[in-house]
Parts: sequence; C-alpha cells; structure tokens
Amino acid sequence: MTNFIEYLLGGLGSGAIIALMALALVLTWRATRVVNFAQVGQAMFTTFIALSIQDLTGNWFLALAGAIVAGAALGVVVQYLVLRPVKRADTSGAIIATFGVLIALQAGAGMIWGGDQQAYPQPFNSAGISAFGREWPISVYDLVVIGVTLALVVGLSLVFTRTNLGLSMRATAFNPEVARLSGVRVSRTLTIGWAIAGIVGAVAGVLVAPISTLSPNSFDILLVFAFTAAVIGGLDSLVGAVALGVGTGLVISLVTGYSDSSNAPVVALVLLALNLLLKPDGVFGHTSSRSV
Amino acid sequence: MLTITDLSVNYGPVHALAHVSIEVPRGEVTAVIGANGAGKSTLMRTLAGLVKPLTGEATLDGVKITGHKAEDIVRMGVALVPEGRSTIPELTVEENLRLGGMWRSRTDRAATVTEVFDMFPVLGERRSMGAATLSGGERQQLAIGRALMCDPQCLLLDEPSLGLAPLIVTQILQLVKRLATEQNLAVLLVEQNAVTALRVASQGVVLNLGQVVMAGPAQEIASHDELRHAYLGY
Repeated sequence: MTNFIEYLLGGLGSGAIIALMALALVLTWRATRVVNFAQVGQAMFTTFIALSIQDLTGNWFLALAGAIVAGAALGVVVQYLVLRPVKRADTSGAIIATFGVLIALQAGAGMIWGGDQQAYPQPFNSAGISAFGREWPISVYDLVVIGVTLALVVGLSLVFTRTNLGLSMRATAFNPEVARLSGVRVSRTLTIGWAIAGIVGAVAGVLVAPISTLSPNSFDILLVFAFTAAVIGGLDSLVGAVALGVGTGLVISLVTGYSDSSNAPVVALVLLALNLLLKPDGVFGHTSSRSV
Repeated sequence: MLTITDLSVNYGPVHALAHVSIEVPRGEVTAVIGANGAGKSTLMRTLAGLVKPLTGEATLDGVKITGHKAEDIVRMGVALVPEGRSTIPELTVEENLRLGGMWRSRTDRAATVTEVFDMFPVLGERRSMGAATLSGGERQQLAIGRALMCDPQCLLLDEPSLGLAPLIVTQILQLVKRLATEQNLAVLLVEQNAVTALRVASQGVVLNLGQVVMAGPAQEIASHDELRHAYLGY
C-alpha cells in the first residue's frame, strides 16, 4: 500500500506535463478539427530555442519566456504555411500534413542543434522532499510543474468562459458560420487558437526537458501519452484532457513501479484501444448526446 | 434603405439568381416569396457576404455592402438570421446573445441585452441555461436577439417560420413587423409560407428560378390569383 501511494505521488509531475501536451492537442482540435501531430515537434523545437537562450543568459525564466514567444509564433506559422492551403482540400489531408511538419521540425532541429541527447538544466531541487521523518517521491520541481499546469488550466478556463475572445473561440469551434454572421473574425480567432496551443506545448516542453533529455526525437513518447489522454478525454474537452493527462501519468507511474517502464507505452495504447471500443466519444465527450 | 441592383449568382453552371433588383425601404417589411429552389436563401446569403455575386451590387443607405466579408457586412449594419437552427446549442442563452456585436462598447451591448430580454422574457428567465433546452420558437427568438445585438439598420430573416407552430409563427412575424416600425429597420423577410409573410409585409417580391417575376404591394400579390396558382402553389 505504501508503494502504491508512492507510485501515485511520483506520477503527478509527469502527469501534469502529459496533461499540458494533451491540452495543446485539444486546443487545436477544438479550433480547426485537426489533430496536430506536429505539436510535440513544435514543443521540441521551442525547447531547443529555450536551451540556446539558457546557454546564452543562464536565466531559466528568460528561457521559458523565449519558449513561450517562439511557441506562439511557431503555432501561427504552422497554421498559416501548412494547414491553411491544405484545409481547403480536406481535414485528413491536414492531419497528414502535420506529420510532415513534425518530420521537418525534427530534421531541422537535428541540422541546427545536432542529434545528440542534451541535458536541460534543472532550475529547482529535483530530490524528493523530506518531511514527517521520511523522504517523499515528489520533489520541489514536481510541485513547480504541477503549479504551472494548474495556473495555465485555470487561466485558460477563465479566458474561455469570461472573455469575448474565449466566447469567440468556442462559438467558432461549434459553428463558424454563425460566428462570422455575428461579426467574429473567424480566421483570426483560429490563428489565436493555434498560437495558444503552441504556447501550452512550449511550456510543456521546457518543463519536461530537465527530467528527460532533449534531442530531436525525445518528445515522441510524450505524443503517445498525450494523444491517449486527449482522445480518452473526448478531444473536445479541456477538463477531459487535463484529468486524463494526470490519470495517464499516474497509470504510467504504477506500471513502471510494479513492472518496467518499457511497458508503459503498451499500456497506454491498450487503454486507447479499449476506450475506442467501449466509449468512442471519450469520457468527457458529448458529441453523441448533442441535441439537434 | 437596402437597394439590390442587378444581382446574379451562379453555382457552377447553375444560375441561382439572375439580375435580381429589389428595394427594401426602412420602417417596413419586404417579403420575398417563392417555392423551393427559387433562390431565396441564395439571395440572403449573398447579401450577408457568405456567397460572392457574379454581377450586381447591394447598397445600404448608399454604401456598397457586396464585395465585403460577412464579418464586415454585419458591422456595416446588415444582420442575417439564417435559416434553421442558427443558435449554438452548446452555449448558454446569454452567451448566444453576447456573441453578436462584440465590436460594440460594453455599455451599448449591455443595453441591447436588456432590450432583448424585455422583448423576449423567456430568454431572460433562461439566460444561464444551455440554448439546447429552448423550444423551436424560443430558439428563433434567440437568433433574432443575437442579430439585434449587432445593432442592425437592416435585418435579413431567412424562413423564420420553418418548423414552428402557426401560432408561434404569427407571434414572431408580428414582432418582426413591430421591430421594423419602432426601430426604423429595413427588414427583408424570405418565406415559403406566402400567406403569413404577405400579412405582415408592405411590399412583396415573387422569386421563381432565380428571377423576380412580380414585385408590388403585398396585398396586391396576395390577391393575384393567377400568380398564386403559378408560383405559390395554393
């Protein structure tokens, strides 16, 4: 039982990061009905940019800020250059195109920064916290990660529910024609959606880099977990993405603790398959119950 | 006044609208009637900027609106209430309203929200409920309310009676007529339900296969037997 609780605690930090990446996938899906498989590539690229800033200035926060700016810009660039022309054809074409962008970003990063694993500096203490006479499997850094994730989720929820921009984004996702007729600048709103997703992905990248390593392909496994969480969460639901993201982190931690870390991706894919068989709309999805 | 001059629209080789000219004066309702496929919805979608015209233009009080994007045309004062379910069921009643006219100042919009709730008390009672919970008639009220949020000078209504009970249709069309008079709006009403539409309209236009076959005072059209048999089917 002690082990079980330890494994759960140990999975919270990585769960928060999976939640962020799943959130980024959901944001682009809601805006444009495209699953952006390039999302982890964008995050990898912006994390390399952050690492360059870190090497230059030695300031972790400045590097994070750089990643955020680059994440927004890259989100806009990917939407404009690749998805806008393809979208006219059909969305499955756009999804294939995101794979193309992913490959291009990985190749580009390899040419600029090399293909080797690089260490990303650890800004906070990553050793387990000692309290109540024992060491816990959760570090100050894990708490920072969880805190940043919570802040982003709360902030995004407020934007979506309390602001004109959020209302425009939701209306555009549900019915772009009615949004346009009401005066919403739809294509601008979609672009902002991709920029926000780029920011969320970029933050996830900078947060995960110190506890993994950084190379052009090092985030690929994150895509598997985040995609699983986003789909099981219902793809349309921000709450679902976050809940299932954290849940996926916990499951992975349990699997790793009781067996071996190499089994984690298999478990994720089995969960994904089970979900698609039993509840294809996702746990938090509502498409089937939509009234017409 | 909304002035439509020589408007033509093609869908590929099909002439959806051919050289249509209509004048829609302020303060009254102008009804466009005609059978299915007459080009009524195409006319509305073209005026709202969702479809590009091949020839011709439309002006509102002398300002050209055709050629602009839909999101700009609504800012110029022409608001379309599209056919069918034009509310967003996933949003609340109030969110559906607030979607309209975001470019306007906070105080102006708040004033219009109050006006709409006065006009449609049911919407006020259900402001924080999902629009999916509304009845068909209430949704139509909400769609009209959202158009009013855009502070329109000209209101385009595409088949507001579709799928509604006759009593509700009469209520809604009476309200449209009152809006036209009280707010001095140019209202263009497209209807398949000719009898009801001509009852509230001052002017009528009969559209058939994309062409205007008759235009004149609504009463004259309503009592024109041959025309009724030929184009309106009753």
